[in-house]
Amino acid sequence: MQEETNIPFVFKAISLISLAILLVPVGVVVLAGLNAGDYLTFPPQGLSLRWIKAFLTSSMFLSAYGVSFVVALVSTLISTTIGTMAAIYLTRSRGPFVSFLRGFFMLPIVLPGVVLGLALYVFYVTSDLGLARTMTGLLIGHVIVTCPFVIATVTAALVGFDRSLEEAARSLGASPFTAFRLVTLKVISSAISAGAIFAFIVSFGQFEVTLFLSAPDLQTLPSAMYVSMRYKFEPTAAAAGIFAIALVVLSMVVTSRLVNLKRIFER
Amino acid sequence: MTMVGTESEARVERPIRAARANGGRLWWLAVPAALIFIVFFVIPVASLFGLSFNKSVAGVIGLSSQFTLDNFIRIFTRATYYEAILRSIWVSAIVSTASLLFGYPLAYVIAKTVNPGRNTLLMIMVLSAMQLDMVIRMFGLMVLLGDNGLINGFLLYTGLVSQPLPLMYNTFGVIVGLVQITLPFMVLSLIGIIKAIHPSLEEAARALGASRIQAFFSIVLPLSMPGILAGTLLVFALSISSYVVPALMGGWKVMVLPIHIYQQIAEVGRWQFGAAIAVVLFVTSIIAVAIYHQAAIRTSGGRT
Repeated sequence: MQEETNIPFVFKAISLISLAILLVPVGVVVLAGLNAGDYLTFPPQGLSLRWIKAFLTSSMFLSAYGVSFVVALVSTLISTTIGTMAAIYLTRSRGPFVSFLRGFFMLPIVLPGVVLGLALYVFYVTSDLGLARTMTGLLIGHVIVTCPFVIATVTAALVGFDRSLEEAARSLGASPFTAFRLVTLKVISSAISAGAIFAFIVSFGQFEVTLFLSAPDLQTLPSAMYVSMRYKFEPTAAAAGIFAIALVVLSMVVTSRLVNLKRIFER
Repeated sequence: MTMVGTESEARVERPIRAARANGGRLWWLAVPAALIFIVFFVIPVASLFGLSFNKSVAGVIGLSSQFTLDNFIRIFTRATYYEAILRSIWVSAIVSTASLLFGYPLAYVIAKTVNPGRNTLLMIMVLSAMQLDMVIRMFGLMVLLGDNGLINGFLLYTGLVSQPLPLMYNTFGVIVGLVQITLPFMVLSLIGIIKAIHPSLEEAARALGASRIQAFFSIVLPLSMPGILAGTLLVFALSISSYVVPALMGGWKVMVLPIHIYQQIAEVGRWQFGAAIAVVLFVTSIIAVAIYHQAAIRTSGGRT
């Protein structure tokens, strides 16, 4: 196969630039977090673990990392559960209502994050539910934005699932629930895990919805980094970023082992 | 299912039909998600829309029943605001174009890379970049593009320029930031479409005497149109609704719609007016998505 030679040289050259646009800023964050000076300058001043230490002793960044982790974990659990249930219904029923519902569940992706955050904040304040600037209120916002990713991932797997497998189990005497649990759930479990990982990443990196929902004593990692970048711009934020980058790259590698990434994204 | 079966096959048929019919009784599975979406998505967004039709009073949030178009009239008659709409639109249009110019070649390379290991590696690079927290990526860009940043530092150090180039805290910086964020979405919209174009079509054009460039522009590019449309409009919708990029890369000097929303709410406390700008933003991006959907259906002949 002469596959690679078939690609025009111009395309290869521009691809390199595109990959640089995508990856150089990430590399710069890692360098900034490991650099010895007060600010990453050219020429660099050498490497040190100074900012990593600063991150590990900064109560603001550590508690923000903790808040982000808890919010991402809990909202992932909730949206994976309700999203998987909804996906099963969406792939097993027919009719105009079902296709309406499928579009409806994707709406939070279309709605600008700032608008959703603002809408929720106004709703919390005016409805007297006591949710404004609370952990629960923040969690609800994250469930709304992460749920579409779970539904899309699990739906993609269920559409490709051969139902005759479940029917075979039924014909051998299994109850509908047992057949579902032992056959279908086993087959789609990797897609559910992938959906959960996506939900986690989306929640962990979520900034725009959080903007109106967080409070000074309830800051997520992106909002803490944002505040630090707008007012101080210290490499501690970059050191915090290194830990977030590690988490994301690790989960992407795990996801690529769980599901065929292309099936979800190339539709 | 229509074939005449033996007795044992007939026995199998019954539970299968029962299972198939079960689909209708599964509605309760969608109830928790639907309830959460109605209470915490439909109602809040609807009340925000309602609020935008209330008279703007600083510090008052409650929804009243006296509706007026004042906020919208103000948006469309004050230069600050309608210029922000136009700025939002043209910045997003430039970002869509730039994202296409950089994204198409990368998508083409990924689509034509058959080696599974290399293909997965490229996909992971694109997806990791996409999934990574936007604020972190903007930090990297700011370190690169700032007046004391790496690029200006290098240019000053080598004596190529005597003044730092204005790469950030202006429209250019916002565009670079948005291209960085939207590029993966463009690439992912294109890979599938490019992969589906059969290589023999291009080969046939070449065999009939077309040059490589002619074959690309008359065969490959037209067949990629559904993906190009999908990608550019998705990128447009993402760019027009981004707050974090104009806030950080524009340093509050590039006043696009999301910045105005935040300013009205957080600094002036005029919730109704902020809500009205949010409605204008949402409607603009919905129109973009609706056009995209129609165009995608038309160009792909009903396959989406």
